[in-house]
Order: sequence, then structure tokens, then C-alpha cells
Amino acid sequence: MTDASLMLYGLVVGIIFGFVLQRGRFCMNSAFRDIIVMKEYTLLKAVALAILVQMIGFHLMATMGWIDLNPKPFLWGAMIVGGFIFGIGMVLAAGCASGTTYRVGEGMMGSFVALLGLMIGTVITSVGALAWLVSDLNSGIFKTITTGDLGLDPGPLLKEGSTSLTLANIFGLDPWIFVAIIAVVILAALVWKRGGEETKVEGTLSERIFKKGWNWWVTGIAIGIIGMITFWTFKNYALGISGGWFGFLNALITGDLPRLSSGMLNWFTFLVIGVVVGAAIAAVIAGEFKLRAPDARRLLQQFVGGLLMGIGAIIGTACNIGHILSGVPQLSLGSMLGGAFIIIGCWVTAYIMFMRG
Amino acid sequence: MSSDVEPTEVLDVRGEVCPYPDVKTQKKVKSMKSGEILEVLVDYPLSAERIPRSMEKSGHEILKVEKKGTSEWSILIKIK
Repeated sequence: MTDASLMLYGLVVGIIFGFVLQRGRFCMNSAFRDIIVMKEYTLLKAVALAILVQMIGFHLMATMGWIDLNPKPFLWGAMIVGGFIFGIGMVLAAGCASGTTYRVGEGMMGSFVALLGLMIGTVITSVGALAWLVSDLNSGIFKTITTGDLGLDPGPLLKEGSTSLTLANIFGLDPWIFVAIIAVVILAALVWKRGGEETKVEGTLSERIFKKGWNWWVTGIAIGIIGMITFWTFKNYALGISGGWFGFLNALITGDLPRLSSGMLNWFTFLVIGVVVGAAIAAVIAGEFKLRAPDARRLLQQFVGGLLMGIGAIIGTACNIGHILSGVPQLSLGSMLGGAFIIIGCWVTAYIMFMRG
Repeated sequence: MSSDVEPTEVLDVRGEVCPYPDVKTQKKVKSMKSGEILEVLVDYPLSAERIPRSMEKSGHEILKVEKKGTSEWSILIKIK
């Protein structure tokens, strides 16, 4: 694909992704936080279903030879630290990387402030004053543990030369065995937690698509399919958010525009811009677009949250989307660890902020 | 909107971000007596869907959810 068509493609996928995020109110901060704060599982079910669809989809496409899986390496120290910082940040910011991005499209200025924080956080941690954190957490005892280190065979379906640990290759088993096990676990959990939480959606088909919030399963399947299409066409990886915002601000600051039009950055940057546009379109049609802001104290809290998310995403090599939505379905052990610490950071912070007293 | 029911109290959480509308509603509901009616004014779409869901699960009755304008909802809750 040429640069221009790749950019256009990123923008189009982003607009669709943003539309779905807004309609489904898909936010992992809410999904994980609501489990403990409100005993609410609706968004969690959407997340689980999206992971399930992608896990089967990615492995199917890899088995057919259409893509090579590209799980993130097991950079354990950085993923623990980065994930935890990111998890704290998303509660303060009142939205994960994708949730914050789509809410900018709804006109929520608090999320806009959080997004500015996120962009600044990614830049100072990638190329600025905090870059030492990344190199320190990539060396010494924190060095990536590879399949070679453990004397393991990377196994089938992976990208040429990948030495990333996956759930399959650490046990030396076929990835499909774990796909099947996890699929059964997720389906059992969805059946166990069924009913009671669905939005009662009524009206004509167009009203249900454009005016009402979507049912969790519609959102989960739609996001799963968007992730599959992304991986299929983009080849290198599935969906991601924070890398795109890094590319956006970095290109603006350095004037290093060629960097924007080569490699991965163009794709992700145009994707995140598309998400804002798509969410805005969805919100306007639904009558949910409104410029609004919380009070000053909350704005400050959201800015700090965004900053922490940006710092955490760069240290841990991905945000909630890169790890939980795109990495876990590839059975990446690193993404599972990073994702787990995003959730732990989220729960600790949510407990302190909303559940004490 | 209150032509048929008169709310005992009104909680305005417009402008608030996730999950404060829900948390403040829960707190308010706990401070109210059985049979009283709370009107929640909210402009955050996710909470406009989640508050009725979680209130019903806690046994309260949702009398009405009305969209009053662009991204503005009124939720009438009867305390159990």
C-alpha cells in the first residue's frame, strides 16, 4: 500500500471505529472499574466478546496464511510498571485511551484535556525527559525474556523472527488448544452473567443504530470485526490508540512530517483522528454532541490522568487497546501481564477514589 | 416533565465525568426515604443508560427516563 492510501485507510477505519465506540459507549476504564464500583458487567461483556471474536479471527487468518501473528515481547518489568501507571491514569482521566478519544468527539472538554495530557506524556516518555525510564526498564534484570532465553520453539503462526512468549509456545502446544480453552471460558462466563443488563432497545432499525446506545453484544462483535479487518489489511498489528497520538504530537513539535508518512505512525495517527471524527458523527446524529466541561478541579484531575496514561503506555509498550484488545487475542504473555497490571492499577485507584467511606 | 410525578429531590450532575453521575446518584439514593422520588439530571450518555440499569438492579423503580435535549436526560427514580 502506498503512504497516501494507507493514511486514507487508517482514517476510514478510524471513523468506523469511532462510530462504534460512541454507539457502544465502549470504554475499558468503565468496563473494569464498574465491576468493583457498581457490580456492573455490561461493558466487560462487550470487551470479552471483542477479545473472543478477535482471538478466533486472528488465529483463523494466521492459519490461512493471510497474516502473521505479531505478539508483543515479554518485556516484563516495563509492562508491570507501565501497565500499573496506565491503570491509575485511566481512572483519574475518566476514560481509557479509546474512551478518552471517542469522548473528545462527543464534545467533552474534560476528555480533551486528558487527551492533551496523554499526548504530552507519550512524547516526554518516548523522546523527552522521561526516556531514561524506558531504557532502564529495558536493560539489566528487566531485559525482555525471549523464547531463545528459555530454549523454546516460537511455534507456528508467528511473524518471521518473532521471539515473543505466548501462552502457546511456553507450553510447547498448538495455539488452537488455548484458543479453544479461552473461548469456552469466555462463553461460559457470558452465559453465567447473562440477562438483566441489556439496554432495552426499541424502535426501528435505523433508530436502534443511530439514536440508541447499542447492546453490548453488537458492540463486542463490531469491534472484534474492525480489529480483524485492521490486522488483515494493515498486516503488522491490530488496533492501537496511544501510538497514534504520540505520532500526532511528535510530528507537530518536531516538524518531522516524513516520519508521519512512513512506517506505522501514519496508520495509527490517522486512525485516532478518524476515531474522533467518527465519534463526533455518531454523537451528532444521536443528539448527544454537546460542548461541556466539568469544574476546574476535575479538569486538573483528568489532565494528570491523561499524562499518566501517556507515560504508562510508552513504558509498557501499549495502552489498553494495544494490550488487552489486540495483544491478548494473540496470546501474548507480555500483553496479558501488561493488561493485568492496567486492571490492577484501575482497581486500586477506583477503590481509593470511589469506595472508601 | 413532572406533570404526573413531583420529585422529592433533584440531583443535577450535568457536566460531571465518568463515573461521578452514578456514584453521586447512589449516595443520594441512600440518603433518601422509601417512596420518595429522585430526579437525576445528567448529560453523560453512558450514565444515562447505566443509572437506570443499576438502580433497577438495586430494587428501585425507574418511573421515567426522558431525553430533554441534546445530550440531556432526566431520570425519575422511586426509592424502594
